[in-house]
Amino acid sequence: MSLAINYIANSLLILCLVTSIIQSRFLFRIQNYNLLSLSQISAIQFLSILVSFVILIFLFITSDFNFDLVYFHSHSEKPLIYKLSGVWGNHEGSMLLWILILVLFNFLFSLSRSSSQKFKEITVAVQSLMIFGFVLFLLVLSNPFNINNENFNDGLGLNPILQDPLLAIHPPILYIGYVGFSLIFSLSITGLLTSEVDKKWATIAKPWVFAAWSFLTAGIALGSYWAYYELGWGGYWFWDPVENASLMPWLSATALIHCVVVLQRKNTMQSWTMVLAILTFSLSLAGTFLVRSGVLNSVHTFASDPGRGLFILIFLFIILSSSFLLFALKSEKIDKPFSHNISSRNTGIMVNNWLLISILIVVFLGTMYPLATDLLYNQSLTVGPQYYAMSITPIIILFLFFMILSPQLSWGESKLLKILNEMRYILVSCLTITFLTTLYYDLFNITEILIILLSLILIMSSLSSGLNFKSTKVIVKSNFGQSMAHAGFGIFMLAVVSNAVYSQEKIYDAKVGSKLQLDEYIFDFKNIEQEEKVNFNSIKAYLSLSKSGKDLGEFTPEIRFYSDPPTITSETSIIHQFFSDVYVVMNVPQNQESISLRLHIKPFMNILWLGVVMIILGGIITVILNRNNYRENEIN
Amino acid sequence: MKLIKFLPLIIIVVVCIFFFFSLNNDTTKLSSPLVGKEVPEFSVDRLLSNETMTNKDLISDRPIILNIWSSWCIPCRAEHDVLMVLSELYDVDIYGLNYKDNEVEAKKFIEGLGNPFKKIGVDTSGRSAIDLGVYGVPETFVIRNGIIMYKHIGPIHMNELDEKILPMIKGL
Repeated sequence: MSLAINYIANSLLILCLVTSIIQSRFLFRIQNYNLLSLSQISAIQFLSILVSFVILIFLFITSDFNFDLVYFHSHSEKPLIYKLSGVWGNHEGSMLLWILILVLFNFLFSLSRSSSQKFKEITVAVQSLMIFGFVLFLLVLSNPFNINNENFNDGLGLNPILQDPLLAIHPPILYIGYVGFSLIFSLSITGLLTSEVDKKWATIAKPWVFAAWSFLTAGIALGSYWAYYELGWGGYWFWDPVENASLMPWLSATALIHCVVVLQRKNTMQSWTMVLAILTFSLSLAGTFLVRSGVLNSVHTFASDPGRGLFILIFLFIILSSSFLLFALKSEKIDKPFSHNISSRNTGIMVNNWLLISILIVVFLGTMYPLATDLLYNQSLTVGPQYYAMSITPIIILFLFFMILSPQLSWGESKLLKILNEMRYILVSCLTITFLTTLYYDLFNITEILIILLSLILIMSSLSSGLNFKSTKVIVKSNFGQSMAHAGFGIFMLAVVSNAVYSQEKIYDAKVGSKLQLDEYIFDFKNIEQEEKVNFNSIKAYLSLSKSGKDLGEFTPEIRFYSDPPTITSETSIIHQFFSDVYVVMNVPQNQESISLRLHIKPFMNILWLGVVMIILGGIITVILNRNNYRENEIN
Repeated sequence: MKLIKFLPLIIIVVVCIFFFFSLNNDTTKLSSPLVGKEVPEFSVDRLLSNETMTNKDLISDRPIILNIWSSWCIPCRAEHDVLMVLSELYDVDIYGLNYKDNEVEAKKFIEGLGNPFKKIGVDTSGRSAIDLGVYGVPETFVIRNGIIMYKHIGPIHMNELDEKILPMIKGL
């Protein structure tokens, strides 16, 4: 039975290889094959991977330990949802998921009707060439369907820290974002090959870029939210190499979406668009694979095999060097001369592109520096959050300033005084609010005040430009997605700064019955219990929270000792309030008399997540509004 | 002007070469700064005897194991079986360091679960453990000729025993 499944699954993967070769024929100018249409072959390509993915899911659900992958990463007593997430909670399975999304995008694009047949053929060919490489890698070096000849009664389980509902959906969402940029990459290669990078190209690419960007943003946000409440380290972003690896493509993608808009409107910034499209995908690939290959070491690394790393590196090198070489040779042809005024929106976007690239370089250096010292001097070190905070803060201030200014500028030429005049109400009200807050909260740090002021102006100006307030009703304008995302970013920055300033933390060695205090909150340590569960033992503390005599709820922080594999996890307990999150983390007991508890007050966390959600929604709204506009244009 | 178009290509090539060399660079071997160094000096009372245990006890030309444990530490209980297996099946000396514990509880723990240790030192204050760079209990060191060969943080499971610790004991 297992052997039969192994044969079927492998044949499906080989079928995908064959169809990918057929699909990539357009790159080599072979046209004499017309048995099936482009989209029909793409459908076969997609279905072959889909079915093998479903087979893998089936193997995990039925706990078939004859398969190595199931044996190493699942356990019969695991809840169904974690058996399911176990499918992509390992290297081989996540590779298959990655390929599934790759072929899905290829299939969807082959169905789309926005581009010419020739353009579509080449794009699908480029995409299929990549699919070929990845499926080959899967078959040869990380086959998820390898079987063992032993009779194992039970599996070795999944890392308990990964047993979390959020983490079950975090990888798929992030992958849709990452892989979405593979299509943008293929579109760019096609544009370079045919020397057609113009308004038409931007119109084809725009919905895909915005969709991929929204998923990437959501994927990063989910990961960050998971780290916030599961790891219990008292923050939402740690500048960990793996987090940075996902932030870098995001920064580049954010610059890219703005370039695509400029390209669509003004038929300029061709080179920028091409470089950013290739860069974003390069960083996405590096983000997924180098993390797994043992180059970057962090808490996230869960498969480390230099052999695989080498294949991926060579594959990456071939894709990236050939595409950048293509760019270097072709860029003269695609660039259209365009003289734009210094005070136009193009300039603003150009400045912010450079700022985003600067942040990207800061993050890149911070991530690479420990690797370099390790390689050159054999010294292990880590780059702390201080480095990032100090180098990124001044860039962010400039970035906010141009984020406010650029949307106010017209695509042609604008008078700065006129803009200042139009914004007078917003400016005055924001200055007043900032002034009052500064006095009320005793804020005297100039950077903080500046960021708060600029964020406020950004929120107000974005909202007022996306909505048209008429006497009785509110009209949503076509740039509503943009203004939503920009306002979201303002809210996010506001929350980040306030959170950094007002976060409080205290560590107590507490005994049962004691009352702990942090700020105005009283923590009443009531009880501690030991429990034995199916696959772990736990120590659970019970604390109740009150503020000025009012009861606010109960904390149950917990330490879990998993046996299979042996791991200790700390379960954070959070009480969410509108303006601040209060939470308690228990440390592993270090002596018998007392328990060490860490108490945190994290203000404005809800508002921070609200900002992030608005940014994501902004991207999605842009895709939807763009689609409607496209339909309207077709009708006209 | 034309040259700048090749800039991304050059950067990619440099970064890839850099990654290539990082790939073969095993970063896990540097897990503890103490690995490869001598066991720091210490002298502590013993749990089941009136003598003292010092770092000189750990100097032997055969590999020996030093385990830091506590009776209040739940993972140590889980790990204890593995230590018992190790002491009964293999010819290896295991030393214990009882960390921030109560003497009565520690004795009860050993009486109840068995004693795999040749000598047990008592570190009530945790002072000696700090010198050894202990983060928390349990932790296990493999020591030969007074030099720390390997350090494991957290409970030892049969996996680590088979893959890491046994090869060191047999191979050295």
